[in-house]
Amino acid sequence: MATSFKQIEENLKTEAGKLLDAGKVSMVLAYGRGYDEKHPLPYVARSLADVDGMVFNEYCTANLARYLVRYPRGTKIGIAAKAADSRAVIQLIQEDKVKRDDLVILGIPVYGMKNAKTDEAIDAKTTCGLYNPVIYDVLLGEEVHGQPVLSPYEVLEKVEAMGQDERFAFWKKELDRCIRCYACRKACPMCYCDPCFIDQNKPKWGEKSPETGGNLMYHLTRFHHLAGRCIDCGECSRACPVDIPLYLFHKKVAKECEEMFGQAAGMSIDEKPALINFRVEDSDKILE
Amino acid sequence: MSFEPKILGIACNWCTYTGADLAGTTRLQYPQNLRVVRVMCSSRINPSFIFKAFQLGADGVLVGGCHPGDCHYNTGNLYARRRLAVTKKILEFSGMEPGRFRVEWISASEGNKFAEVVREFTEEIRNLGPQTKFKIS
Ligand code: SF4
Ligand code: SF4
Ligand code: FES
Repeated sequence: MATSFKQIEENLKTEAGKLLDAGKVSMVLAYGRGYDEKHPLPYVARSLADVDGMVFNEYCTANLARYLVRYPRGTKIGIAAKAADSRAVIQLIQEDKVKRDDLVILGIPVYGMKNAKTDEAIDAKTTCGLYNPVIYDVLLGEEVHGQPVLSPYEVLEKVEAMGQDERFAFWKKELDRCIRCYACRKACPMCYCDPCFIDQNKPKWGEKSPETGGNLMYHLTRFHHLAGRCIDCGECSRACPVDIPLYLFHKKVAKECEEMFGQAAGMSIDEKPALINFRVEDSDKILE
Repeated sequence: MSFEPKILGIACNWCTYTGADLAGTTRLQYPQNLRVVRVMCSSRINPSFIFKAFQLGADGVLVGGCHPGDCHYNTGNLYARRRLAVTKKILEFSGMEPGRFRVEWISASEGNKFAEVVREFTEEIRNLGPQTKFKIS
């Protein structure tokens, strides 16, 4: 039996309270009330009194690892992390953006999270499909047992089966709808570059207004920059106001990286990100 | 008029570019469709260069570097190999014909190989026809 959302919320408040009270962390990143229960907001608790404002329900999909890089190095932070979110934390540790010792990870086993826009259950179609955090200090509920119904890459079959021209038409149609609001990169825990390449003027990589060429440049390069780093939380696609299925491309790149380099992003703090690493025995086959 | 492919070559200074020089000084014939940009190492190549080249109308992109183990900076091409493999997969999944992008290891003494690769690649691109998918009109 999965722990209820109410119970997780209670546990979250208790554990966050303990950490703040003992001075072990200077803040806890969690979820707070939004304008309705479907739209909880990221929430920072800095003292025991703030803990009461925390909520946790099936719509708390945001990946809070996104906010870790905002604070100066060395800040002691407690963070509520669901399964994919914990992979983001691991990935950020691999990239030396945060230190393991500075974090207290409050792991949340997820079961039954929902997309606030569609009210559909979130599963391996749009995320990595894991139930339990990969890394945590305290687990705020019972581990969820059982295998995901789908493998995370099954959803790719349809697009993979397309011919080149059909696939190009598919992506052109999708990416042409992009309004360049950059919600995708804002939601992504791995998009922390400042400035982002697409905001640069010298060199100017692509048009900044929403049009075919600039959209293609922005997205292809973003997919590339996330290769071996995207932990498949699906937040970019949920954040997108025009519902572009970015997760399909990210999943494809992740799948290829796993096949070529034998490691998935954000699964162990002892690994190095695949693209800032190499093995002498890597084969030239990967270039074919 | 028959189609003459425009091909961007990106070659590392120490091996492939020197190999191209050798091909030239030994008077080897190869198609003039290739325009070479020299970089210091294959790992200097930002994948966006390749996307950009296609947007600006290249029909093919050929990257040349030292053989693995021979990079002037020891490990540059070992990183580049992984990175460019990802570039290739991304191009392919976006719907671009995979044959339009190629990576070859060509050493400074392989003038022959350089000429051979350029000949072969140009033919391949000629068969694929003009690249229109990424091109910004
Ligand atoms: S690219 Fe999307 S799915 Fe991947 S880590 Fe970023 S927000 Fe999550
Ligand atoms: S969130 Fe959607 S519309 Fe906004 S920049 Fe990203 S892909 Fe484009
Ligand atoms: S110097 Fe030739 S590949 Fe690095």
